[in-house]
Amino acid sequence: MRMLSVLSRLAWRYLWRNHRRTIVMLGAISIGAWAMIFMTALTRGMVDQMILDGISALPGHVQVHHPDYLDDPSINNLLPLDDEELERRFAGAGFVAWSSRVKVPAVITSERESRGVTLLGIDPAAERGLTFIDEENIDGRFLEGPDDKGIVIGAKLARTLETEVGKRVVLMSQDPDNDIADRGFRIIGLFHASMPDHEDGYVFVGKRVAQNMLRIGGATTEVVFLGDDYRNVEPTYEQVLAAVDGSVSVKRWNEVATYLGSMLEVMDGFVVIWVIVIFLALSFGLVNTLVMAVFERVREIGLMMALGMKPSAILGQIILESMLLLIVGLAIGDLLAWASIQPIKDGLDISIVAEGMEMMGASSILYPKLLLQDVVLANVVVLILGFLASLSPAWRASRYEPVEAITKV
Amino acid sequence: MNIVLRLAWRNLWRHSRRTWLTIGAMVFSNTLLVFMISLQFGMYALMVDNTLKVFTGHMQVQAPGYNDDQKMRQVVPDVAGLAASLRESLGSDEIAARGWAFGLASSAERSYGIGIYGVEPDFEPRVSSIPGLVTEGRFFTDTNDPAIVVGAVLARNLRATIGDEITLLGTGVDGSFAAAVVTIVGIFDSSVVDLDRSIALMPLGAFQDVFFMNGAGHQVVLFADSLSAVGTLRREVEGLLPDGDDLVVHDWDALQPGLKQAIQADISSAFFMYAILVILVAFSVLNTQLMSVLERTREFGIVMALGLRAGRLGRLVMLETALMGFIGLILGAIGGALVTSWFTANGLSFPGMQEMAAQFNLPARVYPSVSFLSALLGPLVVFLFTLLAAAYPALRLHKVRIVDAMRTN
Amino acid sequence: MTAVRCVDLCKTYRQGDEDIKALDHLSIEIDSGDFVCLMSPSGGGKTTLLNAIGGLDLPDSGEVWVGDQRVDRMSKGELADLRLANIGFVFQAYNLIPVLTAQENVEFVMQVQGVPSAERRSKSLAILEEVGLEGLESRRPAEMSGGQQQRVAVARAIVSRPELVLADEPTANLDSRTSAELMELFVALNEHHNTTFVIATHDQSVMKYTRRLVRMRDGRIVEDIAQHAA
Repeated sequence: MRMLSVLSRLAWRYLWRNHRRTIVMLGAISIGAWAMIFMTALTRGMVDQMILDGISALPGHVQVHHPDYLDDPSINNLLPLDDEELERRFAGAGFVAWSSRVKVPAVITSERESRGVTLLGIDPAAERGLTFIDEENIDGRFLEGPDDKGIVIGAKLARTLETEVGKRVVLMSQDPDNDIADRGFRIIGLFHASMPDHEDGYVFVGKRVAQNMLRIGGATTEVVFLGDDYRNVEPTYEQVLAAVDGSVSVKRWNEVATYLGSMLEVMDGFVVIWVIVIFLALSFGLVNTLVMAVFERVREIGLMMALGMKPSAILGQIILESMLLLIVGLAIGDLLAWASIQPIKDGLDISIVAEGMEMMGASSILYPKLLLQDVVLANVVVLILGFLASLSPAWRASRYEPVEAITKV
Repeated sequence: MNIVLRLAWRNLWRHSRRTWLTIGAMVFSNTLLVFMISLQFGMYALMVDNTLKVFTGHMQVQAPGYNDDQKMRQVVPDVAGLAASLRESLGSDEIAARGWAFGLASSAERSYGIGIYGVEPDFEPRVSSIPGLVTEGRFFTDTNDPAIVVGAVLARNLRATIGDEITLLGTGVDGSFAAAVVTIVGIFDSSVVDLDRSIALMPLGAFQDVFFMNGAGHQVVLFADSLSAVGTLRREVEGLLPDGDDLVVHDWDALQPGLKQAIQADISSAFFMYAILVILVAFSVLNTQLMSVLERTREFGIVMALGLRAGRLGRLVMLETALMGFIGLILGAIGGALVTSWFTANGLSFPGMQEMAAQFNLPARVYPSVSFLSALLGPLVVFLFTLLAAAYPALRLHKVRIVDAMRTN
Repeated sequence: MTAVRCVDLCKTYRQGDEDIKALDHLSIEIDSGDFVCLMSPSGGGKTTLLNAIGGLDLPDSGEVWVGDQRVDRMSKGELADLRLANIGFVFQAYNLIPVLTAQENVEFVMQVQGVPSAERRSKSLAILEEVGLEGLESRRPAEMSGGQQQRVAVARAIVSRPELVLADEPTANLDSRTSAELMELFVALNEHHNTTFVIATHDQSVMKYTRRLVRMRDGRIVEDIAQHAA
């Protein structure tokens, strides 16, 4: 400890002896650290938003289906558990939210146009917190219950169909016997979604109305569950799995939406690679600085050895110098990153490439996400790798023979 | 060798370790830049190519507004005639007429809403990859055949196969009820699930009958010789459009705005990362050259006392930097080309790439290839910034006062 | 009591194609409390001998004893401890750690030894006063004259009361007046604290302050005379 205080004072003073070099190096480290964290926060934010959007469209963290439904999402692959049974098994089980729904392909027809859509028969109360529908942002009103006879469609779909709130549309699908099942609905509301795909792909009707129209009694096609955190769905998954048997399939969100699941992994990989690449670009300058720092005070190192400082203390001094340099640089970089994220934390509008972002499955407002784990990762990786990179110059410094070092001019 | 050049060269190797470390930073960044840029160029070309080859083409002739709304009644009159006259005037076969409608397709067991393209049997294969992806059965021979080619997933979901009859229900161009029975003659497999699930093709003549098109269609698709020839071809086509009809030509980035924007979004995030790398290299060079100037202060003082101007010494420093940068440029370009070539031979894939690639019509393994441009673009920018970074130390020489310099130890 | 004993030391350097015998079967004993001056023309072997005694450099053969410790058999770490506890060094120049102040330089050895800060402080202030540097405690080496720097170095060498102080050309960079002051300081310290001094020099003026004069040439002792300091 005592040695540490001696050494760190020496290291700190030496750092500022050649202040120009130190400032240039600090500049490089800060910029590197800033870039690591800033870029990671932006990408994290994008991926996070993508996943949240994706999960709100699935929706849920865990889904239960007929084993064949995901491959063939039709009315013929109904869940073998009806609503009463589901209620008995899952009500009050402590999920953040859960809902059973009817989700089948359908055709919607206005006076002018027809389009293919996904028909969702829902109980609006149970869906709260699960879907991407923002009830505050609806022209007209949302469904009021499972028996509501109206239909809510996306604003973009309404434009395509040349229809509006109050007008009638016809929904057409099939019943389990492949007879046409159709019904007229009055449009009661238009929803807006951050993803245009959602806005023209989904229509919402009351669950019991849909069940009547499709002649399926109390049956549904899927049950969706929301847990606390999309990163940790295991508890929810285990709980659901325990409540059902092998006649249904239980899937986590990243198994249903593999693209989103793989995004998360790719993202985690990206953070590590990005941090390492920046560090490597920095490391040449860092080692260079240390080599120079050692080179220009060989004599002083010899002197300290002659005065009784052990080689290990010399090694420690150089490594400390490197660590101090890195810590100060990282601190500045962290601060810069934080400061540059503050003004955009309420969302960075990148709608100039909105459709491109949509193609990637992301929305056009980017919310940077500064995760503590990423900041810690960046800082720790830099310090550990920095320590390793300092070993060689520090080792060389500690190997000088004092007599040669002193006589070196 | 010129004496100044020789002097610069020797000065460079006075601290060979430092020089190599600085060059190392350049080589590292250059190698990475060459590889990444080669990979990006390759991916973008593939993305554009694969996406446009499906249905979009390089450009389309459409009715105004059709691109946004895709309404049935936004038609191109006598679409086959227009395509034929364009083929003749332009002397190209990569031009075909299409109609598009939405319909409900029902087999004996199932019904699905799908998009139906009416296509010219003889010319569609020239403008789309889908006819070539017919893996079962055949493509059309007669434009009036009541036949249909469906995607593989759609066929599976419909529980239908070659020879089975499908009932189509939809809305005609005049808003009237359209219905027809067609026979499946072929099944295509594009391995893009969204396409294979929701798209079918019919011969244009039969399509026009079913949907009461009266000879009209919705688009004439054209391919230019290359992406760079799109602009020229577009102007030619605009000149050839019949005067009476109100028609517009959209090129591919209007038809697929997401594609170009996805590329732009990717380029800008990549640009950010490259910029950081370049800046870090510049810092490294700045540090090295600053050290190299500071430690030679006395030496510079002496030669200045002998009558050499600061400007010439500055040029010497720049020349040293340029030599160093040049080594970094050559080694980095070679390194990057070697790394890229390895992947050209072996392909590149990473965990999660398959899912991501599918999103952008890319194969799961990419084979980047290095070009003259991609090998030199990054390294040249690095070289430029290297020189820029050395400007400060070089200009500092003007501030040197000879007497002080000579007294420096 | 014997402070330093060297037995049959040999040390050969290669310089270019030539072998230079810096120490040629040299033996010497130095009594505790003595004030010895090693004189030789440059290259005569005095610095090599000094370095061998201080454990900075190993002889090719022979024995080096400081007190009852065999120096030439010690590990680097043991040597460091020996220098820390028993030996003070004064070199010809670049003697001080440039990033530390005068007082910090003096405290440096004690700090490495683990002396508590209050004690360090009082000792260092006292010793700086003793060498005549009151008021300059917080100056850095670059802000002091050569003579002042050497005084700091001396202060540092003696502050932890080593039994032995080795000085290599301590006056080489000083003018004659400052040299004289420094030598007088050495003499005073020698008398006060009974510290053994071994000074290697080719400065004739140093001679008169010492009690024993050892002349060397080509690695051997050519003259060894006891004398009374002026």
